[in-house]
Amino acid sequence: MGLSRHPSLADTQTLPARATAERQVVSYDPKSQEGWVTTRLDFLVNWGRANSLWPMPFGTACCAIEFMATAASHYDLARFGMERMSFSPRQADVLICAGRVPFKLAPIIRRIWQQMPQPKWCISMGACASSGGMFDNYAVVQGIDTIIPVDVYVPGCPPRPEGLLYGIRMLQEKVKNERGADKRVRDEMEPDPNSKLYIPPDMIDELSEPFGNSVHQTRSAP
Amino acid sequence: MTAPFAVVTPGSALPGATAPATPKNLPHTGGEPNPSAEALRARFGGAVERVDVVWGETTVYVQGNRVLEIVRWLHDDPTQQYDYLSDVTAVEQRDLDQPLEVVWHLRSLPFRRFLRLKVRIPKGGRLEVDSVWPVYKGADWLEREAYDMFGINLRGHPDLRRILMWESFKEGYPLRKDFPLRGRFSRSEQLRQALDQDPEARYSMEELSVADAFADLPPDMRERLATGEKTGE
Ligand code: SF4
Repeated sequence: MGLSRHPSLADTQTLPARATAERQVVSYDPKSQEGWVTTRLDFLVNWGRANSLWPMPFGTACCAIEFMATAASHYDLARFGMERMSFSPRQADVLICAGRVPFKLAPIIRRIWQQMPQPKWCISMGACASSGGMFDNYAVVQGIDTIIPVDVYVPGCPPRPEGLLYGIRMLQEKVKNERGADKRVRDEMEPDPNSKLYIPPDMIDELSEPFGNSVHQTRSAP
Repeated sequence: MTAPFAVVTPGSALPGATAPATPKNLPHTGGEPNPSAEALRARFGGAVERVDVVWGETTVYVQGNRVLEIVRWLHDDPTQQYDYLSDVTAVEQRDLDQPLEVVWHLRSLPFRRFLRLKVRIPKGGRLEVDSVWPVYKGADWLEREAYDMFGINLRGHPDLRRILMWESFKEGYPLRKDFPLRGRFSRSEQLRQALDQDPEARYSMEELSVADAFADLPPDMRERLATGEKTGE
């Protein structure tokens, strides 16, 4: 049976403005490992996942206020299937880290991430969560991507609710383009057993180098 | 040439005002001292080193080895009744030769009085002063914070350990002037040590349990709770 006779393909031809994900499914290569059924299943599964992302809010500071505004009636996160806040990591899909993370919380956010079942994603909301923000000091982690993997960074201090919604839409786009056959994205990252870090220490040092005015404030010992 | 503009100072719009004034017209220094300062002088004599009044608030500098005795008297004496401890903290001056100051903020609710006690501890030795925990149980966490941030050892505190930084924090005391802003270790080392901590190591379920707290309540509250009265929470 040729693909061109399938109604969904006929649809795409008549409706060229379909979502990217669907157009990719249609470009069917018979020699590829993925069968037609799997790609259609991917589409269905991704559609379901992307539209019912349950957030695990990890609100530690002022950004959490803006996150609450996003979830409240005016901006209404429920439009994207996210009205169900999961305050237990085991029933959550996306960790939204809203606010600065001090070093004392580092093992806790790491544990929450490890407790979340696959598939899972992470949004780093605000300058502090993404880079330490203005808190370039002894107590604050310089970006949560040094502790857990991050999918979407939302800039701003704090980001407006529209900004967060945009980040969430980007994450949905990412989810919709995932392939079930691509096992790499679902592999649980294992930290280095000695240093407990995902990325090499010298890279962390380099990434958290001070910039701007703060280069004038030096460290007393290496 | 005339001056382009007149300097405006707070309070200068008041009729007949000459100097800046607060709403209650308090002088910057040398106002009416809290009567407790005089009472302390009369009772403890040489232990009171200096009395300052700044913006109407009285600061009494006392000798470090008498502080527990003085606080106990202020709390117990019927003419003082300082029944509320607002804060315990410390101050390090920018001039590194100046001694460190430990500060107690006391409030007397019946007399509507506020008194600030200070003790000066010279640097270079062990920073040590008596804990006021035997008088005010609420001093527990405030003193742990003073220990965590300034490294002041409070003698007689039941459980003196870090409160804001994690317990295995090795970099020193963050609010001291010689502490570099970004800490002493590199970022990766800080992160490694932070991830190494076990957040649950210290707190057992028994420790967090409120079941044993009943015996620690004041007797009148225990009586009221024993009769089945609701606390309203
Ligand atoms: S990015 Fe700004 S608003 Fe968000 S936690 Fe940091 S300081 Fe607060």
